[in-house]
Amino acid sequence: MPMGHTATAQAGSGGLTATEHRLANGLRVVLSEDRLTPVAAVCLWYDVGSRHEVKGRTGLAHLFEHLMFQGSAQVKGNGHFELVQGAGGSLNGTTSFERTNYFETMPTHQLELALWLEADRMGSLLAALDDESMENQRDVVKNERRQRYDNVPYGTAFEKLTALAYPQGHPYHHTPIGSMADLDAATLEDARAFFRTYYAPNNAVLSVVGDIDPDQTLAWIEKYFGSIPGHDGKAAPRDGSLPDVIGEQLREVVEEEVPARALMAAYRLPHDGTRACDAADLALTVLGGGESSRLYNRLVRRDRTAVAAGFGLLRLAGAPSLGWLDVKTSGDVEVPVIEAAIDEELARFAEEGPTAEEMERAQAQLEREWLDRLGTVAGRADELCRYAVLFGDPQLALTAVQRVLEVTAEEVQEVAKARLRPDNRAVLVYEPVSLEAAKHTEDADPPEDPEAEATVEATDENEEAAK
Amino acid sequence: MTELATMEFHPQPQAGESRPWAFPAPERGTQDNGLTVLRCHRPGQQVVAVEVLLDAPLEAEPAGFDGVATIMARAFSEGTDKHSAEDFAAELERCGATLDAHADHPGVRLSLEVPASRLAKALALLADALRAPAFADSEVERLVRNRLDEIPHELASPSRRAAKELSKELFPASARMSRPRQGTEETVAKIDSAAVRTFYEKHVRPATATAVVVGDLTGIDLDALLGDTLGAWTGSLAQPRPVPPVTADDTGRVVIVDRPGAVQTQLLIGRVGADRHDRVWPAQVLGTYCLGGTLTSRLDRVLREEKGYTYGVRAFGQVLRSAPDGTGAAMLAISGSVDTPNTGPALLDLWTVLRTLAAEGLTDEERDVAVQNLVGVAPLKYETAAAVASTLADQVEQHLPDDYQATLYRQLAATGTVEATAAAVSAFPVNRLVTVLVGDAAQIKEPVETLGIGEVTVVAAE
Repeated sequence: MPMGHTATAQAGSGGLTATEHRLANGLRVVLSEDRLTPVAAVCLWYDVGSRHEVKGRTGLAHLFEHLMFQGSAQVKGNGHFELVQGAGGSLNGTTSFERTNYFETMPTHQLELALWLEADRMGSLLAALDDESMENQRDVVKNERRQRYDNVPYGTAFEKLTALAYPQGHPYHHTPIGSMADLDAATLEDARAFFRTYYAPNNAVLSVVGDIDPDQTLAWIEKYFGSIPGHDGKAAPRDGSLPDVIGEQLREVVEEEVPARALMAAYRLPHDGTRACDAADLALTVLGGGESSRLYNRLVRRDRTAVAAGFGLLRLAGAPSLGWLDVKTSGDVEVPVIEAAIDEELARFAEEGPTAEEMERAQAQLEREWLDRLGTVAGRADELCRYAVLFGDPQLALTAVQRVLEVTAEEVQEVAKARLRPDNRAVLVYEPVSLEAAKHTEDADPPEDPEAEATVEATDENEEAAK
Repeated sequence: MTELATMEFHPQPQAGESRPWAFPAPERGTQDNGLTVLRCHRPGQQVVAVEVLLDAPLEAEPAGFDGVATIMARAFSEGTDKHSAEDFAAELERCGATLDAHADHPGVRLSLEVPASRLAKALALLADALRAPAFADSEVERLVRNRLDEIPHELASPSRRAAKELSKELFPASARMSRPRQGTEETVAKIDSAAVRTFYEKHVRPATATAVVVGDLTGIDLDALLGDTLGAWTGSLAQPRPVPPVTADDTGRVVIVDRPGAVQTQLLIGRVGADRHDRVWPAQVLGTYCLGGTLTSRLDRVLREEKGYTYGVRAFGQVLRSAPDGTGAAMLAISGSVDTPNTGPALLDLWTVLRTLAAEGLTDEERDVAVQNLVGVAPLKYETAAAVASTLADQVEQHLPDDYQATLYRQLAATGTVEATAAAVSAFPVNRLVTVLVGDAAQIKEPVETLGIGEVTVVAAE
């Protein structure tokens, strides 16, 4: 029985439209007009992420992203930040497995400035890139790594699980932050080569959303970006395809100084952009999204064995997505007790599928998340770029919520049955140890590779890292 | 070596003509039950935000029961006279809604977000939660256990551990502000459903509560909706509680919370200063931004962009509690993380930045950029209903007029360099700052002692 429903006639897209254009140099442009608030968002996605990095140079895409804020031919030093902020705008850049994005949200009358700035660095970064900014940003990024991953409890869980879930040598085996050793090893010449290879108009999508005059905006884009030469320097990324299921349960026990035992797991799930991925999203929401989910009810409310329990989805287009389980235990509860309960719930779900009411709840939750994302010009600009870069069609962003609402309970059950199995997961168990023991462990077993989304300026957001 | 680009360059474009924007003015009213309601129509915002403020501040918690306001706030979403805890959560999520509740010094706050099409149903659930919370023994007991389990996680987080220590240092031990907002193991363990219900009966009633509703209200009869939901909540009349003044000891000193082996040191350097009732606030906002608002501000220009000691250090002012008579206060602080070996040099640079600011002042250019940013970002910052609702609720909570934010933007634009400098310097005086460092004492104590920024003491992490 189809369970799709909508909150409003124009659910999700809210009557939004977008137009597509392409400059002669290959730059793809997406425009979406919305005059409600006098702001405009500029978003530029480069089709390069940590999956393009090579052995010994993990973290380079993200370190390079930092260098993009260090000036270009006509922009001095920190001028990019200074000019945008001085114009009443906000900005940032982030790097994930599959892309690097740069974005500015501007008051309408300052839109042209943001376009000029983005064009200047796309076309002339190497005119300003020098050793001084390389050395400085290398230190900044190493401190970013320490602050977000190394100096917080469970901070390296994501990179450990990623390294387990994607085999050695796979392009997604390491995460965007990179390893300390590789960050140390990166050279100025590496950065230059990276720019020459990946930073070209024909390897990018530019979206502008908000209070804009589309004709004028397109004319500005042609003026500033039109003369930047395109090139085909980029090799295809290494193949990220893997069998649908792992075929065995991979497992690592971490003994560290953490406040409580934890069970984390990553399930191999369908690629983003497929209907099965939307079905998996719904399955994870029913099982572990929010405080009415099956795992929350079982572990936190009824068994009272966990402090928190939830599932998240890391959508990936060039490799299998990851279903992300995170459970922190309560009191002295042992991990096997939790694990047995989870396996029981997953098996029951695979057997019975979701109830009609669970489908309604999960779809309502995902619909609200989409309304939130499309409710700001910056969120919309980012989604338009995402669908253009990863799936070749920005219009898909405006209909994404409908696709989630069309998924049936049977499809949700099917993906759960096929994928949410013990032989299709990598498991990470945390066992707390005292300080003395922790030091000993570190000596005996040096930390592995690196991790998640990294960004140029500290923010509270961590969009790519699964919750 | 540079590389010549082959693109065609154009001069930096000039700004176009700006379109006017003003912080939205809410419409204020009162329900028959005494509930104050602020509403604001924001076209296009399909997700409606509702904030409810309850006059149940932390200082109203009975002695020895720190955390009861937090447990009550959480228990609002754990069942009513119509729904069990599980059913209540399910019904909310069926609306596509989220409901968060937390207790802080000024009071308890509930935040609902829901698609406009399902506002009626979600408001009914919210009203049930406030009007007839179940506070079942077993649910409260579970929340208490859950809260006890959270405490070790908070102590292990460098930033939260630092915040806890700074409060303990700044405020007198007798003041509620000196202790963790959500209670300690000892106090939380004593809380049961009777304690929660007593607190609720004493402090929660529509007459001292305010609801803020913001979003695209096209086609929604909000009066009828409110009448059936929050308007049907009953309770005795009461005067708002008097707000006690805030006192703090900002004698310059350093406390190191020892975390052996830490690869970074978490810094939190703070004191207490003026809140929004003080005329200096706009200048203080401006000066604080110039000092540490962004990565091109003075602190990060040195600590991050020149030295690479940190991913980012920020200066900020955050209102702790305000009173109608202006005796409230804000926490003024500088926070960030620096790598362990550079902790001493980073603090030395930080103090040098403060001393230079006091000696030489801000430049007109810095002031101009700061004003352009702080005023210019307003339409971006307030694009969503949730952002508008949150600021309107802050104003009510802080006893400010409904047009406060709109006025603040005009005041910022009228604040000069000299005033901004004076405000920043008096907000962050070099000898009146309490410094909390969460890091490896064996490595950082000695270098910090040589800086002369105050007596250094070391405490254990737990």
